Amino acid sequence: MSLSSFLINPRVGLVADASVMINLNATARAADIMKAVPNPFSITENAAAELKAGSQKGYRDHEQLLELIDAGLIRRAPLSGPGMAVYESLIDGSARQTLDDGEAATIAYAKEISGIALIDERKARSLCASQYPGFLAACTVEFLMHDAIALAIGVQAQADALLSALNGARMHVPSEHLERLRTMIGPERAALCSSLPKTARAATV
Amino acid sequence: MSGERLTDKEVGERLRLARENAKLTQVDAAAQIGVVRTTLVAIEQGKRRVQMDELQKLAIAYRTSANALLRREAVHLDMVPRFRKLQESSDDAVEAATRLLNDLVRAEVELENALGVVRTRNYPPERPILPGDIRAQAEQDAQELRDWLGLGPGPITDIVSILDLQLGVRVYVRPLNGKVSGLFAYDETAGACILLNANHPPERLLQSGVHETAHLISTRRQPEVLTDDERFTSREERYANAFQRSFITPARVVRQQFAEITAGQSHLTRRHIILLAHTSGVSREAMVRRLEELKLAREGTWDWFVANGGITDDQVRQVLGELPDKKVYTARAQGLVPPRLALLAREAWKKDIYSEGQLARLLQLNRHEVRELLEGAEKEESEANELVKLPH
Repeated sequence: MSLSSFLINPRVGLVADASVMINLNATARAADIMKAVPNPFSITENAAAELKAGSQKGYRDHEQLLELIDAGLIRRAPLSGPGMAVYESLIDGSARQTLDDGEAATIAYAKEISGIALIDERKARSLCASQYPGFLAACTVEFLMHDAIALAIGVQAQADALLSALNGARMHVPSEHLERLRTMIGPERAALCSSLPKTARAATV
Repeated sequence: MSGERLTDKEVGERLRLARENAKLTQVDAAAQIGVVRTTLVAIEQGKRRVQMDELQKLAIAYRTSANALLRREAVHLDMVPRFRKLQESSDDAVEAATRLLNDLVRAEVELENALGVVRTRNYPPERPILPGDIRAQAEQDAQELRDWLGLGPGPITDIVSILDLQLGVRVYVRPLNGKVSGLFAYDETAGACILLNANHPPERLLQSGVHETAHLISTRRQPEVLTDDERFTSREERYANAFQRSFITPARVVRQQFAEITAGQSHLTRRHIILLAHTSGVSREAMVRRLEELKLAREGTWDWFVANGGITDDQVRQVLGELPDKKVYTARAQGLVPPRLALLAREAWKKDIYSEGQLARLLQLNRHEVRELLEGAEKEESEANELVKLPH
């Protein structure tokens, strides 16, 4: 089964990292987007704490997370035995081989529930690929470009959400998704988007 | 576990430093994880390995992360508790500045180590304070340093670059509370480190920078903080104060300039002081006080000028004309973190050595800020050309 089909499977939990929550909040349509897929969402205590750290400087991500929790769209997830062992392996060691607590907890919990980690960090996803073959991780742009989102909120709103995440949260876009993203938001809007690489803003990718 | 694991003793030592930085007692920390103080002592001494749930709780209490405590490259410094011991009473402004210096140095050293960057140190010889006339020693040591640096008789226009590029001192110019002028610390791992207040005018920043340099020369192993209520009562502080004046305004140079500017005239005027201060790059008060010290002006001259309307900015403009704003350190002072640290962080992220989350923690930034810092880093990679490849 492809990652795309897992993203619309109600039995597969999606574990959102702080990086993804920031992007979803920037779309201003987080609730509608999360309702668009049947999967249950969760966030670890560590990732939620990272969002809270931004509150001191006026960022509203933690507040928005609490609203989503109150609306029943996402729940806080505690790590337990099996997840804790993965978490430990991801935080203890050299810099190159480890992640910060929130990123590690996101992967550990997704592994614990056999779900999908929603995480933008390139290093985290390559660590997962090398250490946990078969483990699924998706990034925000992959999730936002899913057909289910277009079906729920419309193609235009989906493109607007992508653009808001790019401009409002400097959403990271892996190179393999650049071409499709550019088609979806339109080359004119892509050309004005400073967080995209120059190649994606030029006439051809 | 990824890669080589730290020993229980190393983890315990890091936990102790993190606790002291967070200003918590062993009793406070023990309560956080529900153990008695002796158990916490055993953990800090490496006699008992901290458990993962305990580590998470301690990391939160110490305002850090478990990864920052266990990551092999992480550098843990004890500047905050060392500075705290210097203060007679707790001072939030000094504590904040100390914490900032500690965090900047810690992050920079860790990133240098991770990237294999070696910072060259070229410290001048130490000159311990000797018995006898402290001013005379300061004057001599200041001239010796000027000669060692090859500065000649000209004014010091950029003390930060001298410290950074010529001496290899870690120097940061960041906005601090107005009462803090500068901090100096020396650490075996990090070397000499200086933090200066970006909110102060260039003349004052120069004075603070040279004052801290005096501590590098004379009392290298002692941390030092310079505040606006400094009374310069100790021999070390009197030395640093005299060194600062002698280094910025060497006696011979001031005498020569004074003789040229006042030749054939009967009274010391505001115009003389404005010209002399401008030539040396110091404030009007600093110049008059130096003239008093060198017996080129009578004691009480500055107080007389103050009592008679002072020497105003308008009068300076009348003598020197409109001068551009001297924002010498704008580039160093701006940005979420100092520019060199930002470059190291971008490189560490580009090379997949540090994640966004790890950098946010290391640089004490939130996720939005770290994204701002890293913006465009990937573009640099994808758009790089052989032509702009660095030769090392």
